[in-house]
Amino acid sequence: MSAWLAGCLGAMPSMQARAAIDAQQILVASDAVRNPTRPFSVTVTLLEFRGGKQTDTNTLTVYSKADEQGGQYRSLVRFVAPQRDLNKLMLKNGNDLWFYDPASQASIRLSPQQRLLGQASNGDVVTVNLARDYKATVQGEEEIPDGERVPRRCHKLGLSAVSDDVTYHQVEMWVETTTSKPVKARFFAASGHLLKTAFYRKYQPQLGRERPTEVVIIDGLDPSWVTVMRYSAYGWRDVPEAWLQRDYLPRFKPE
Amino acid sequence: MTMHPARRVLLTALVAWASPGLAVAQSATTGNELDALNLADRAEAAPDKSGGPWRIYLEGAGTTRRLAGPDETAGAVRASIDLRYDAKLSPDLRLVVSNRLDLVHDESDRPVKSVNTLREAFLSWARNDSQTFDLGRVNVRHGAALGYNPTDWFKENALRGVVSPDPAALRENRQGTFVLQGQQLWPEGGITLTLSPRLQRHRSTDPSALSLDLGANNSRNRWLLGGSWRLANGWTPEVLVHGSEGASPQIGLNLSALAGDAVVVFGEVTSGTGQTLVAQARQETGNERRRERAALGLTYTTPINLSVTLEAEYNGAAPDRTQWRALQNAGPTAVLQFLNTASVLQDLPVRRAVFAYATWKDAFVRRLDLSAFVRQELETRSRSQWLEARHRWDGVDLAVQLLLNSGDAGSVYRTLALRHALEVSLRWYL
Repeated sequence: MSAWLAGCLGAMPSMQARAAIDAQQILVASDAVRNPTRPFSVTVTLLEFRGGKQTDTNTLTVYSKADEQGGQYRSLVRFVAPQRDLNKLMLKNGNDLWFYDPASQASIRLSPQQRLLGQASNGDVVTVNLARDYKATVQGEEEIPDGERVPRRCHKLGLSAVSDDVTYHQVEMWVETTTSKPVKARFFAASGHLLKTAFYRKYQPQLGRERPTEVVIIDGLDPSWVTVMRYSAYGWRDVPEAWLQRDYLPRFKPE
Repeated sequence: MTMHPARRVLLTALVAWASPGLAVAQSATTGNELDALNLADRAEAAPDKSGGPWRIYLEGAGTTRRLAGPDETAGAVRASIDLRYDAKLSPDLRLVVSNRLDLVHDESDRPVKSVNTLREAFLSWARNDSQTFDLGRVNVRHGAALGYNPTDWFKENALRGVVSPDPAALRENRQGTFVLQGQQLWPEGGITLTLSPRLQRHRSTDPSALSLDLGANNSRNRWLLGGSWRLANGWTPEVLVHGSEGASPQIGLNLSALAGDAVVVFGEVTSGTGQTLVAQARQETGNERRRERAALGLTYTTPINLSVTLEAEYNGAAPDRTQWRALQNAGPTAVLQFLNTASVLQDLPVRRAVFAYATWKDAFVRRLDLSAFVRQELETRSRSQWLEARHRWDGVDLAVQLLLNSGDAGSVYRTLALRHALEVSLRWYL
C-alpha cells in the first residue's frame, strides 16, 4: 500500500509537468491561429461605442514581424484615418514604444500606460505571441458561447506574466478544444481587477488558415464601453529590419 | 444601446437552452457581454479609407489680446489653409510638401497681412531600405525634451508666424531648412549627416507672403552629424555635433528611457563655446566661453490616460538674476531687443526654469482633449501659462486657448508686451 502510494506521489511531478507543457502547447497553438507565421500586414478598424452610441473610429495599418531570436512580434502601426492623424506612426518592440508625428518630425518615447486609441491599449492593436510572455495552466474545460453565441467546448487557461514587457499581468483565456481557436479572454491588472474582456469572432480563411477577423473588447469597469476591432486586407508583406528602428520613422512611406 | 434587463435575461436563457452544459457558460458570459456582442453585430462597416497623400485643413480664428500698456487691448481674426502632401513618385523616390498660409486682420497692424510658411518641400531617394538621401527644404528636428530643445539647432529663425505657444505647434508651424541630408541605418543604430548651405546672407525684407525667406534658416553654412546606437534594450542614446560658419562646434546628447510601466525619463544636453544671448542681441563679438544648455525631465501617465511632464531647463548663455538686473539698467530698448532675440532663436530667455506640461485625451467627456503648460522661470519668478481645450468631431475641431504671462513688475515674462490672449478657432479637415 505504502509502495503504491509512494509510486503515485512519485508520478505526480511528471504529471504536473505534462499538464503544464500541455497548457503551454495549447497557448502556442492558439497564438498560431491569431498570428501568421511570416511577416505580414493587416488593416485594423476600431469602432468605439459608449452607452450604445458610436463615439470614435480609427483605421490603422499594422506591419508585423517576429523577432528571430526572442520570437516576440515587433510592429509598426500607421494611422490611416481620421485625416487629422494621417501618417502618424507607432513603433512597438517589446516595451520600447515610439510615437512619430510627421507634422512636427518628432519621435516621442511612450510608456506602456499611454494610450493613443481610446480604450484599446497600444498592445491590443499589435500582434502578440502570448506564449512567449505568459506561463499557462489549464484551469478546466468549459462550454461557453462564443462571439456569435454558438456554444464551444474550451480549455480554460490561466496565464501569468513571466516578463515585465506585457500589457496585462493575468489573463483567463478560453481556447476551443478541437481547433485551438481563441474564443474569449479576460485581462486583469496586477491588483486583480478586471480590465477588459475580449471575444475573438468572425473566423475567416486568411493567410493560410481560419483566423478571427473581429475582436470585441468590453471594458471591465464600464461594460457599456465597447470597442470593435475589425481586421481586413491581410497580406504577406516583407517588413525590412530598418522599418522597425526609431531612426527610420521619418523615412517610412510604404506605398 | 443597452439591452432591456428582461430581454437580456430571456436571451441568456435562450442561449442556455440552446445548448446543454451551459450552466458553466452562464457564469462565464454576462448579460453585459451579450449586450456588447449584439452591439458589435449591428455596428456598421467602416467606409474604406485608404489614407491618400493629402492632409488639408482650413482654420478660422478670432483672438483678443491684452497688451502691457494701460487699457491696451487688440483683436485679430485669422484664416488659414494648411496642407501636407506626402507621396511616392516611384518605388525609390518620395515627395513631401508642407505649407501653411495665414491671412491675419489685426486691429493693431492693418491692413490684412498674409504670411506663407513653406515648411517643407523635399525629394527623398531611398537607395535601399537602410540608405536614404533628402534634398530640399526639410524641418530638421532633434530633441528628447518637450518644452526646451537645446539640440534642435535648426529651430533658430524658423518661425514666420505664431499661431499657438504650444511647443508641439511651434515645432510643426515653422519653416524648414534647405539641406542635403543622408542617412545610413544598421540593425543597432544609424548615422545622419545634414549639410545646410548659405543661400542668402540676410533675412528677406520682401513683404511678399510667398517669400521663401532663405536668409532666415540658410544665412550661413551649417552641418549636423548625428548618430545613435542601441547600448541595451530600451537604451539608444543619440549623439550630435553641430557646426556653423563663424561659430564653434556644439556637441549634444539625447536620451530617453522607461522607468516602470507609466514613467518615461528623458534628458537633452548641449555643450560648446559661444556668446551669451545678451551679446547676440547686441550683435557683439568676442567673449566666447564654453556654455551648457540642458533639459531633464520625466513624463508620468496616470491610469486615466492623463500625461504630466515635469522638466528642469537650463541655459548657460542666458542671464541669471544679476545679469537680468544689469540688462534692465541698460534701458527698456535693450530689454526688448534681448527678448526679441531669444524669441527669434527660440531659446530660453533665463538661466533656469521649470516647465510642467499636461495633456489629457478624452478628458471628462469623449473627444475633448485638454492640454496645458506652465513655465516658471527661477531668476525673477515670473510665469508663462497656457491652456487649450479642443473638441474633436469627425472632420472638425473646435479649440479655445488661453495664454497668460504673469509675474512681478520688471520680471522676465511680465516685461513681454503680451499679458494675455484668448483665441477661439475652428478647424475643418477637407
